[in-house]
Amino acid sequence: MKYFNKLTISSVFLTLLISIPALLILVNIFAPETENWQHLKDTVLLEYVFNSLYIMVGVAFLTTIIGFSTAYITTMYSFTFSSFYHYALILPFAIPTYIVSYVYAGMFDMTGSITLFILDLMGKENVSEVFFMDIMSIEGAIIVMSLVLYPYVYLICKTYLISESSSIIDASRTMGLNSWQIFTRVIIPISRPAIVAGTILAVMEAVSDFGVVDYYGVSTFVTGIFRTWQGMGSLEDASKLASMLMMFIFILILLERFQRRNKRYRSSGKDFAPISKIKLTGRKNVLANILCFLPVFFGFILPFVQMSYWFILSYEDVIDEDFITLLLQTLGLGVGGSILITILAFIFVYTVRIHKNKLSDTLTQTVKLGYSIPGAVVAVGVLSFFSIIDRTLDIFITGSILAILFGYCVRFLAISINNYESGFLKVPQSYDDACKTMNISEFTKLTKVVIPLIKNSAMASFIVVFIEIIKELPLTMILRPFNFDTLAVYSHELVGQAEVFESSVPAMFIVLLGTISVLLLARKMIKD
Amino acid sequence: MLKKLALGTLVLASSVFAASEVNVYSVRHYDTDKKLFKMFEEKTGIKVNVVKAKGGALIKRLKSEGKNSPADILITVDAGNLYKAKSADLLQSIESDYLAKNIPTNLKDKDNTWFALTKRSRVTLYKIGSGTEKMLSTYEDLADPKFKGKIVVRSSSNIYNQSLLAAMIEHHGEAKALEWAKGVVANMARDPKGNDRAQVKAVANGIGAVAIANTYYVGKMVNNKDASQRDAIAKMKVFFPTFKNGGTHVNVSGAGVTKYSPNKANAIKFIEFLASTDAQELFAKANYEYPVLAGVKSSDLVSSWGTFKEDTISVDRLGENNAKAVKIFDKAGWK
Repeated sequence: MKYFNKLTISSVFLTLLISIPALLILVNIFAPETENWQHLKDTVLLEYVFNSLYIMVGVAFLTTIIGFSTAYITTMYSFTFSSFYHYALILPFAIPTYIVSYVYAGMFDMTGSITLFILDLMGKENVSEVFFMDIMSIEGAIIVMSLVLYPYVYLICKTYLISESSSIIDASRTMGLNSWQIFTRVIIPISRPAIVAGTILAVMEAVSDFGVVDYYGVSTFVTGIFRTWQGMGSLEDASKLASMLMMFIFILILLERFQRRNKRYRSSGKDFAPISKIKLTGRKNVLANILCFLPVFFGFILPFVQMSYWFILSYEDVIDEDFITLLLQTLGLGVGGSILITILAFIFVYTVRIHKNKLSDTLTQTVKLGYSIPGAVVAVGVLSFFSIIDRTLDIFITGSILAILFGYCVRFLAISINNYESGFLKVPQSYDDACKTMNISEFTKLTKVVIPLIKNSAMASFIVVFIEIIKELPLTMILRPFNFDTLAVYSHELVGQAEVFESSVPAMFIVLLGTISVLLLARKMIKD
Repeated sequence: MLKKLALGTLVLASSVFAASEVNVYSVRHYDTDKKLFKMFEEKTGIKVNVVKAKGGALIKRLKSEGKNSPADILITVDAGNLYKAKSADLLQSIESDYLAKNIPTNLKDKDNTWFALTKRSRVTLYKIGSGTEKMLSTYEDLADPKFKGKIVVRSSSNIYNQSLLAAMIEHHGEAKALEWAKGVVANMARDPKGNDRAQVKAVANGIGAVAIANTYYVGKMVNNKDASQRDAIAKMKVFFPTFKNGGTHVNVSGAGVTKYSPNKANAIKFIEFLASTDAQELFAKANYEYPVLAGVKSSDLVSSWGTFKEDTISVDRLGENNAKAVKIFDKAGWK
């Protein structure tokens, strides 16, 4: 009987609804082997697997190093510009990965501006004489993705480190451990769940990327999915590839759950005190500044400066009345989608918390899978689903805003759920027990206790999802109604025509909206 | 509730627009098209509604929408997608005296489900003064070992390359096409990456000697704000290769009326307009494409690259051979 409560039933219903597109894709894993599939196995499948794994490992490694070290430094130490980095380190999150990849290629590829500048400087005629590294390669793709995706690790680790009571660190200090010992013996082990959670988000994002790998000529599962769909005309085999990718990610999620099992988050409100930061001076001060500045410089400042230059050269040709409409459409979609997702994710996480049944927990993890599916594949699932509804009810939802919002739910609920999960960790179970003893009704507990406590997680979820939505590309492009554009779609269209300069104009607005959101997010975290 | 709301919106929308609109699913993202759509609206009072996305996505969407689809017209940038749409039974045969008379036979579907609107040719470019032109002749010849380390070309996921190989299959059969693709891969100066313009820039800057690209990119590079593109193209010249037993490879942009088009009459009017002299002139001038209508001249810039003998295989064969081409690319290791 424990499953028969309103919350569990509604979350079961929501999960089923949201899982339908993924399930419609997933069933293909059992589809009989076609001639096309045999061909893929014989020729490119191994390369897809290898390259995707390589990207996953590379991005996991780099984002962990960059994200965790900067989170640690800015949480534990105070140095000259530390409050600036608190904000600045999240900024790369505001730029879509594919845009950074165009910018980097524009500067560093074999005919990029910086390469040509060096050529000029050396008085050489041919690039091949001086060329040393090609950014348009799988390693280049890993670097570019990591520069933009490390804030996932940074954000989650930082929130976690801040929320960790200072007592454990103080205790370690009292016991005579030096900073290095505290870092390796205390901080890393206790931060492992946060590191893994952040890294998995970054890896999921990286492995479902299309823009970067397509432009840099790297074959992965995602480029394979497109190639099989568009080129070989086989949506079934493309879906089979997509379902393999999903299995991949599912295993990752299971591993993460497994490594977290038996780990109790020790959080109780009473010993929550701000960490007393150590002040850095001299050489250490400079070193901390350099370590924090590098990711900000390469992940944000450099692409931003290049984009600004392109923007100035081309904004007059791009900004017109239609552009204002498109800006408003993007904003509307972003705000609407984020509110919807933030509410839905709350239902999921809260159900798990108060009913603690395995069913809800499993459902919540299932819903998270959507984040690993490439946007275009989600769109295909959504199309298939709504076309069934359309035909049955004789209405027309496919190609409506509703379909896009639904697609966003499938794809981005994971981010919101992750936010709440870490937020709820800070609300001790004893609160619930206390409410029970005091005979406080569920509703009062919800409105008077729970919501105020996780308000900040909800805000953070809203902001992060908002940024994701305004950056989102393939799903919006495939599902949108007539005469409906977003900044990301428009920017992509211009890049498609190789009008990279012009494409920087809509991209710049994405970055500005994203930057404002990121700054709000950072402020929230400080208040936290 | 949802149903009522959706129905209400639909009724409202259809009562406002139904009589005077045409709904277009288009793969083309060019500014020229925007201008053309406005021209059509001004001329006829028929409102043009547009959804733009990749070819495969639009075809999937048409399929999913079925009878409920609001789309009237599908416009794509290559024959392959039009062929796919036709084979999936998403287009209908239309009768138009104007189109029947004015669009050449090899540039339309034999059942009149789609018609080409513009042509682009896939050519080679070399650096002026490099002497490479003396080596260039046919597409087949690009697989010759004399080009070892000299060829730069984009990835085989790109539809333009797929169509080129599809034409090769049509001319010589699959086995020879595979041999050719392997030969070209062996001759590549670097792994395929970037778009057509990136290939031209690479050769201009000393990587490889022969770039494979579509003609209209040349026009776009000549008139570009980006100095590095203008500088690069200024160093380059177009060479029109031919097939040994044919002409220079051309592909098309084309349009067809969807099977369940709710505004069929408007749709036909719209395609006729796009094939009219005015529209064809704009296509030719603004986007550096070749017009399909006899009597309409290419732009001066396009003409300055020279004339060429066009390959005459029917473009719908490119669509039919597309999937085979992708597989051959995979086998040849053309990334």
